[in-house]
Amino acid sequence: MKRFQLQKIQTLTAILSFITVAVLFMNSCKVSQKVAAKSGAQLWTENCQRCHNTPSPSTFSPEQWETIGLHMQTRALLTNTERDKIIEFLKQ
Amino acid sequence: MRKQNFIPNIFVCLVWFFLFQYKANAQQTVVDSALLDRVAALEKQAAEKRSGEDHFMVAGLATIGFASYKTTNTLNNVATISKGNSFPDANHFEFSPMLLWRHGKNFLLEFEPSFNNNGLSVNWADVSWFAAPGLIVRAGYFVLPFGSYAKRLAAGWINKLATDPMGIAGMTPTDYGVEAEGGFQLGSMKMNYDVALSNGNQLQTDGTLTSGNITDNNKNKTITARLGLLPFSNSSLEIGVSGMFGKVGDQGSVTQHAKGNSYAFDLSYVKHFNPVLLNVKAQYNIQDISDVDYVSPVDTTQTYTFNNHTTASFAQCSVRPVNVSSFVKNLELAGRYTTYNTPGNSTFGSDQHSVTVGLSYWLNWRTVFKVTYESYTGNSTASKTLGAFTGKTVTNTLFVQFSIQL
Repeated sequence: MKRFQLQKIQTLTAILSFITVAVLFMNSCKVSQKVAAKSGAQLWTENCQRCHNTPSPSTFSPEQWETIGLHMQTRALLTNTERDKIIEFLKQ
Repeated sequence: MRKQNFIPNIFVCLVWFFLFQYKANAQQTVVDSALLDRVAALEKQAAEKRSGEDHFMVAGLATIGFASYKTTNTLNNVATISKGNSFPDANHFEFSPMLLWRHGKNFLLEFEPSFNNNGLSVNWADVSWFAAPGLIVRAGYFVLPFGSYAKRLAAGWINKLATDPMGIAGMTPTDYGVEAEGGFQLGSMKMNYDVALSNGNQLQTDGTLTSGNITDNNKNKTITARLGLLPFSNSSLEIGVSGMFGKVGDQGSVTQHAKGNSYAFDLSYVKHFNPVLLNVKAQYNIQDISDVDYVSPVDTTQTYTFNNHTTASFAQCSVRPVNVSSFVKNLELAGRYTTYNTPGNSTFGSDQHSVTVGLSYWLNWRTVFKVTYESYTGNSTASKTLGAFTGKTVTNTLFVQFSIQL
C-alpha cells in the first residue's frame, strides 16, 4: 500500500516537474525577430487555416472575439502573443 | 416729416434687435440644456450596458444530411445485398450548441451538449484556467490529447468530407480528469504540449474499451500526452506524437492487471501553392492491450485469448482554388484513404479500409454543403469458433450533407 502511494506521489511529482520545467523553458526561449514582427492579420491567416477557413472579422462582436480567442487557444495551442494579436486584428 | 420719424424708427429697430437676441439666447440655452440631458441619458445607458469582466455566448454547430447505401455481405461465396437510405442520415446528424462563459481574461467554461444518433449526450464540459503564458490548466470532461483529429478536425463545418475516418475518433476518448497544455515559440519554430490525467478506458468482456466513465474501475489513472512541433515559421507544418498509458481492467477482477498502451502520430500541412490551397492531414493510431483471458460467448465455461492489437490510420488531401472567380473559389475537392484493423481471433476482428472522395461548396467560411462518396471494404478476421461473422462486407454510400457553425 505504501509502495503504491509512493508510486503515485512519484508520478504526480514527475508530471508537475515536467510542466514546471516546460513552462520555465518556453518562457525563456527567444522569439526570432521575423516571428515577433508578424502582424495580427498574418497570424490570423497562418494559424486559423491550419484547421478551418479563416474567419471573417465581421462574424462576431469584439467581446465575442475575446471569448472565441480563449476557446481557440485551447484547441490550436496558440501562444498568448499570437492569440492577442489575432484577436486585436479581428476586433478592428 | 420723414426726418422726424427717422430717430424713433432706429430706436424701435434697436429694441426689436435686442429683444430678438435675448429670445435667441434663451432658445439656445434651452437647446443646450436638452442636448446635455440627452448626452447624460446616453452616457447612463452606455454605462449600464458596459461589458464588465464576464461574457457569455453560444457557438457550436449543426450538421444534417442524407445517405444512400448499398451493402454486400459475402460468406462462403454467398452474397447478400441490402440497400437503404436515411434522411437525415442518422449516423452523421448532430446539433451541438456550445455554451461559452468567459470570466475575465483567465477563466473559460465550455459546455457542449449534443443531440445526435446517440440521443442527447455531452461532447465536453470543462473549466479552463489561463494560468500563465504557455500554461492552460483544465478540469472536467474533455477530449483527451491523443492525435489531432478528434480535438481539432471532427466538427462537421471543419471536416472536408461527410464522414469521420473510421477508428480514429473512436480511439480518442473523452474523459473526466485534469489537463495542462500550452504553446510556445522556439526561435522561428513553435512547440505545444498537452498532458492529461484521467479515469481512463475500461476493458469490456469482449476485449473492447469504453471511455468517459465518471466512476473509475480501478485506482490507476491514465496519462495521455501529446507533443506538437511546428518547424516552419509560417506554421504550415505540424507534426504530433501522442501516448496514452493506463490500466484498463476492473479492480479485483481477473483482468485487473491489464494495461492499455496507445500511440498516435499526426501530421498537418496547409500551404498556398497558387492557384490552390493545399491541405494535407494524416494520423496513425496504435492500441495495445495486455493479453487476458475472456469468457467465451458460446460456452461460458471456456475462455479464450487473442492479441489485442488495433491500428487505425488515415491520409487526406484537399485542394481549394484561390484567386479565381467567386464560384470556383468556393469549391473544395477532398480525398481520403482510411484503414482500421481490429484484433484477429476476437469476436470483432476485421481488416477494413475505405476510400472517400468529396466535393464541398463553401457558402461562407463556416457554412458548407458537401457531396461525399465512400467505398468501404471489411474482411473479417474474427474467430469462427466464437460465432462471429467471418465473411467480407462491401458498402458504397453517397452522402449529401450541410454543416454550419453556430
